[in-house]
Amino acid sequence: MTKKTALLLLSLCLVLSGVSAQKQVKLVIAGRDGDYGNAMQVAVDAYMAKNPNVKFDVLKLSGDDVYQKTVIDLKSGTGTYDLILIDDPKVLQYQRAGWLTDLDAMFKKSGKTVDSDFISTVMDLCRYPNNAKGKLYSLPFVGNVSLFAYRADLFAKYGLSAPKTWDDVLVAAKTISEKESGVDGISFRGVKGNPILTAFLPIFWSFGADFTNASGNPTVNSPEAVKALKFFLELAKYGPKSTPMNNTAQVRDGLLAGTVGIAPEVWPAWLGKIDDPNESKVAGKVKITKHPEEVKKSSPMIGIWHIAIPAASRNKDAAFDFLTFLTSRETQKLMVLKAGLPPSRVSVFEDKEILAKYPWYPAISDALENGVARPRTLYWAEIENTMGGLIQEALIGQKTAEQALNEANAKIAEILKQ
Amino acid sequence: MASYVTTKHSPLFPILMIVILLITLFPIYWIVVTSLKTPVENILPVPTLYPHKFTLDNYQKVLLGGSLRNLFNSIFVTAVSTLLSLAIGFLAAYALVRHKFPLKFNVVFLVWIIIVKMLPPVVLAVPLYEMFSKMHLINNLWGLVVVFQVYTLPYCIWMLFGFLKTLPLEYEEAADIDGASRLQIVRLVVFPLVQTGVVATAIFSIIVAWDEFLFSMLFIRSPELQTLPLAIVGYIGEFETLWGQLMAISVLAIIPIIIFVRFVYREMASAYSLGLK
Amino acid sequence: MKSIGKTRGKTLFFWSILLPALIVMLWLTVYPMITVFLTSFQNYNYISGRRRWIGLGNYRNILTDQVFLTSFKNTIVYCFSTTFLEVFLGTALALVFYGNFRGKSIFTILLILPMMLSTMVVSSVWKTLFHYDIGLLNTILSQIGLSRVGWLIDPKMALWSLVLVDVWQWTPFAFIVMQAGLSSIPQEVFEASVVDGATYRQRLFRITLPILRDQILLLCLLRTIDTFKIFSKVFALTGGGPGNATETTSFFVYREAFQYFNLGRSSAASMITLVAVVLMSIFYLRKMLNPREA
Repeated sequence: MTKKTALLLLSLCLVLSGVSAQKQVKLVIAGRDGDYGNAMQVAVDAYMAKNPNVKFDVLKLSGDDVYQKTVIDLKSGTGTYDLILIDDPKVLQYQRAGWLTDLDAMFKKSGKTVDSDFISTVMDLCRYPNNAKGKLYSLPFVGNVSLFAYRADLFAKYGLSAPKTWDDVLVAAKTISEKESGVDGISFRGVKGNPILTAFLPIFWSFGADFTNASGNPTVNSPEAVKALKFFLELAKYGPKSTPMNNTAQVRDGLLAGTVGIAPEVWPAWLGKIDDPNESKVAGKVKITKHPEEVKKSSPMIGIWHIAIPAASRNKDAAFDFLTFLTSRETQKLMVLKAGLPPSRVSVFEDKEILAKYPWYPAISDALENGVARPRTLYWAEIENTMGGLIQEALIGQKTAEQALNEANAKIAEILKQ
Repeated sequence: MASYVTTKHSPLFPILMIVILLITLFPIYWIVVTSLKTPVENILPVPTLYPHKFTLDNYQKVLLGGSLRNLFNSIFVTAVSTLLSLAIGFLAAYALVRHKFPLKFNVVFLVWIIIVKMLPPVVLAVPLYEMFSKMHLINNLWGLVVVFQVYTLPYCIWMLFGFLKTLPLEYEEAADIDGASRLQIVRLVVFPLVQTGVVATAIFSIIVAWDEFLFSMLFIRSPELQTLPLAIVGYIGEFETLWGQLMAISVLAIIPIIIFVRFVYREMASAYSLGLK
Repeated sequence: MKSIGKTRGKTLFFWSILLPALIVMLWLTVYPMITVFLTSFQNYNYISGRRRWIGLGNYRNILTDQVFLTSFKNTIVYCFSTTFLEVFLGTALALVFYGNFRGKSIFTILLILPMMLSTMVVSSVWKTLFHYDIGLLNTILSQIGLSRVGWLIDPKMALWSLVLVDVWQWTPFAFIVMQAGLSSIPQEVFEASVVDGATYRQRLFRITLPILRDQILLLCLLRTIDTFKIFSKVFALTGGGPGNATETTSFFVYREAFQYFNLGRSSAASMITLVAVVLMSIFYLRKMLNPREA
């Protein structure tokens, strides 16, 4: 009798666990580290509180890693990931290769619609071809754009006016470096590849340079580009010695610790704690704006991250449900307030509560309106690394600005030829 | 006993010994101390030599982050791939020592072993990746066990070949006359004679497998399947390096080795005094 | 008749015990090498999946690529300088710490620890020590009045910092191998030479080192093999920078293959590496295959 009951109970348990196991869905997200990761975690936690039967595995990877891992996985169609983050200039490869789930169809299937609250320039990048008629393959996870930060208190102390042009910046960097002890005039990311190139691009563009001309030939060694790079190297003289190894953490920590006068390339997600006196020694002292101008207008770099569902995912419906939750107004607001992640919806940018916490947020919308997107090519990773490597060689004095850019131009021409 | 070097009795000798130990052990000490400091203390402009504010937070975070799982994965993959390599490597090495295969096959095989041993593994990574992904061995610990053979098998064959070569034929001939089967000879006569060599080989194979990073990075996706080196790299981020946690997980990676090291010393010393080639 | 059957059985037996290793080697190394060889003549982008034959294009391209040439040079410099330093220091230590002394076994046990740590652990801790602003090494330097060193920042220094890490990690190994070699030399050899009135230097260069020749060669072989592959240290410590100062061939192949997904180029670079490896190993191969002749 007892034996029988035990057996019965056991089989009941098995059946029950089988049922609940069936209902349990585990979504694997190939995400980013740092504040992007924190924001994703905030959203995931909120979602799990509502949907206890969905479990998550949030991978917090570096930029290179997330690209490498998702490309090899999507190419082989293993279906390890249910949601992936994609850096904007690389999204074309994913769209063209047919690796992503058609979100228009998912919206139709679920009876929801894509709302018009998303910033429209950003939304176009999520479609392929890149216009309002293209098919939707991703949604903007973060409305990122590069910004310019400087210490208003130090500028006032030395009678410097708010920088309008890059030349003003150079003067200010020099003054602060020489006069304020323990503070570097300027600090930017100098690690080769993506970081240094990203730091350079706002200057590159506003000096009137561009990657290619109208006929698609590379022009990164144009006189404007050379002038921009020379200027960039001049600026670097007033930066910390460790610039060639400095990445996000070092620039941001320097800014927060008050040892940096000007950070010419900062990202909204780094700045969540800038006015928090517990974390920052410069609360209330840092002014954040769009980049200065030069011969061309201010040219901030658009650096949005897309979120998409791989075509090979085995949990598309669950992934889609989370995706709509993640990009909803409420969740974006939550991520802004809790993790400082810049939103991609107009309504969130205008939210009063957010403006109260981050008074500098209008600078983002301002910058986004002026923003320049990086060229969309299948070979961005290679171009970025090549050019970013050569610029660093110029920075550490192994090549002159001309040499570095001539070589970069020749290499980019070769890359584009394949 | 004629001492080879006379400096041993000079007062400099113990000092030199201490200096060498300091240089060797200091980084290891630094791993431990850093793991016991708070995040703030770890980025002070002037580093502190010992934790001024002792904390176990880093360990707690690392353990909650699933590092025991990583430890287990590392141990599993290392142990299984070593055993596999030893088994097939031992048989192959024995065959190469005792049998002359046609067409100079012995030489060809050994030359290839050496070349593979010297070849940077990244060279093989792409085709192996494509093959493994067709066979569903990607994101799978067994896949790692198999791919680790690229490192461990040449190592094992090469070292065991060296040991077996020094073995005189007489024992086997005697056993053969006594009517033992070939397999019995290998198992009961040959194996016990080169046991020390097998252990030494195992140690090297373990060190290599324990250290493996490239294929693990390329073949493993899910965090719960990561081995320790992967988990460690995960703590060096673009946005911030959590030095304390990084060092805490490193300590976890060191512990099994400390347990192992006495044994390694004994075996290695005896292996190399055998005049291993 | 019986003996023929026995010979055949013997042949069969040896083939069958060789077979597992043979299959694994064919599957995991020979077949991939053939694939790499064929791909090296193609322009093959992994993402788009497009492949076409371009003959020697990749080779021409790579052999004129400054980054590849630098990475090759760096690998060779790294490989030979670490090997030399480790063998030299290891031998010197083994000579100094020859024979029995108090605390010998605990001393040696402590010395082997570094080589047993995984490279990622070693790289992590050296990364903290090398840190330009808050690293311990620079703090010490600046406190004794010297200027800070850009361990991983200065392009002239970065490769040597990697060498330093490897020397720290692997000199103990050289020490142990040499110690084992020394202790296998019979005492009488030395005693005889002392009686003959040989000076320390004479004994060292005429007797000890020649006896240890095999041991030293073995050590050189093991260390060159290992250091030629250098990848993880670069990956964790410098990422190939600053500039191309710490680019190595492994890292070059890795980036071409797994960041640019340019498999043609990565394969051609792999083949060039293979040729270099074969050339380097010829010397060792001879030695290994005819050990008695040396």
